[in-house]
Amino acid sequence: MSPHVLARLRIGLLLFVAILVQTSLGSDLRVAGVAPDLMVLVTICAGMAGGAEAGAWVGFWAGLAADMFLTSTPLGLSALTYCLVGAAIGALRAGVLQEHRALIPAAAFVGTAAAALLFVALGDVLGQSQLLDAGRSWLIRVALIEALWSTVLSIPVSIIYAWAARGSAGSERVGPPRGGMISTERLPAR
Amino acid sequence: MAVYRRSSRTRYVLAVLVLAALTLVTIDARSNGTGLLSDIRGKVSDGFAPLQKGTHAVLQPIGNFLTGALDYGSLRHENQTLRNQIVALQQQSVQAAGEEAAAEQVLAEQHLPFVSGIPTVSVEIIDNGSSNFENSVTIDKGTTSGIAAGQPVVAAGGLVGSVLSVSAHTATVVLLTDPTFAAGVRLPGANIGTAQGVGRTDPMRVTIDTTTLAAPKVKVGEELVTSGLDFEKFPPNIPVGRIVAESISPGQPEPDITLAPLVDLGQLSYLQVMMWSPQ
Repeated sequence: MSPHVLARLRIGLLLFVAILVQTSLGSDLRVAGVAPDLMVLVTICAGMAGGAEAGAWVGFWAGLAADMFLTSTPLGLSALTYCLVGAAIGALRAGVLQEHRALIPAAAFVGTAAAALLFVALGDVLGQSQLLDAGRSWLIRVALIEALWSTVLSIPVSIIYAWAARGSAGSERVGPPRGGMISTERLPAR
Repeated sequence: MAVYRRSSRTRYVLAVLVLAALTLVTIDARSNGTGLLSDIRGKVSDGFAPLQKGTHAVLQPIGNFLTGALDYGSLRHENQTLRNQIVALQQQSVQAAGEEAAAEQVLAEQHLPFVSGIPTVSVEIIDNGSSNFENSVTIDKGTTSGIAAGQPVVAAGGLVGSVLSVSAHTATVVLLTDPTFAAGVRLPGANIGTAQGVGRTDPMRVTIDTTTLAAPKVKVGEELVTSGLDFEKFPPNIPVGRIVAESISPGQPEPDITLAPLVDLGQLSYLQVMMWSPQ
């Protein structure tokens, strides 16, 4: 089996474990009523490690997995949101962001907050106005606390993702993980 | 050239994925909870349920530990409150036994539907709902156990919510704090109101439905129960919540009432689904 296929299988397994942990343990980790979102964090790590394309693919499947366990929003809304966030993070990583020790936690914070806001905004545009019923303060609280959770969990999850994605096309472009962090090499400018 | 090709391919992939997601959203939103995508969701939920149940059992101690660590301050306060309540309940228990016997006799004579014994199905929660935008839990029984959408769900203390969607072996229960949830409640002075969810951590809001009667005079600490009127989604007399705040705004004839659910929604494990549907 080629390294690319193996990497895809490992990423699939990682997504499976992530959704299992998310649905089993996520609710117990609520701070001020807000739970972490592992699926968006895996998506951000994919974008950081593999670029825009990997971020989009992993985001789509991570979102679809999350959608399977939601009932009040249509299937595909999380997939759409995470796909866009993964692609955006990957594109920024490749073309704009400078290498820094705090890059992954910072990307996790910004990406997660953006994903929470984008989810509600896209939902509202697509007719899911109930997402706004809890009020603006709740939305801000969710975005901030989810983002803080992602910041805390970003380093371990990025290490696990880098292990899962080794050998994939995206990871080759970005380079192998160094010392548990994503490579310092950058994608070619576009 | 290679860079251009890669960039072009990325845009192509992104466009395909966005279109695929939008197609799924459109199809699912138009099917209104029925159709192929809902079936797939139900089947995934059914297939995942045993694994989820096992993982939940294994990870529950970790979850409890983390919950305790994250909520240490409030747990101490809650512990003290519970101790005080135990003392109060012990004092009331002797008196309550006598009153209960008398009440049973009166209610039996009146043949009230709630007391006549609505059958219930005991269920276990397998997913406490990790979404921040919907307040729901997944339970381990579905249509094969007689559960249907719309049935009321209760726990020790009172109303928890109602069954939102159901598959063969699992069902989703929308909690009463969800903004989409509403239940008719009985207010003092023969008034009727609607208790509406606001959000996971916020109390419910009660709006007064009857305007021809004098505005109800409610007291903080008073408990409200379901009204059980015709076409109501719930049978009568299920405790819903305790009034935590009540105020009258200048120029408003009716009070603003907020209600805290009687059931601790953060500590749910087992529930009872009432085999009841609106008459």
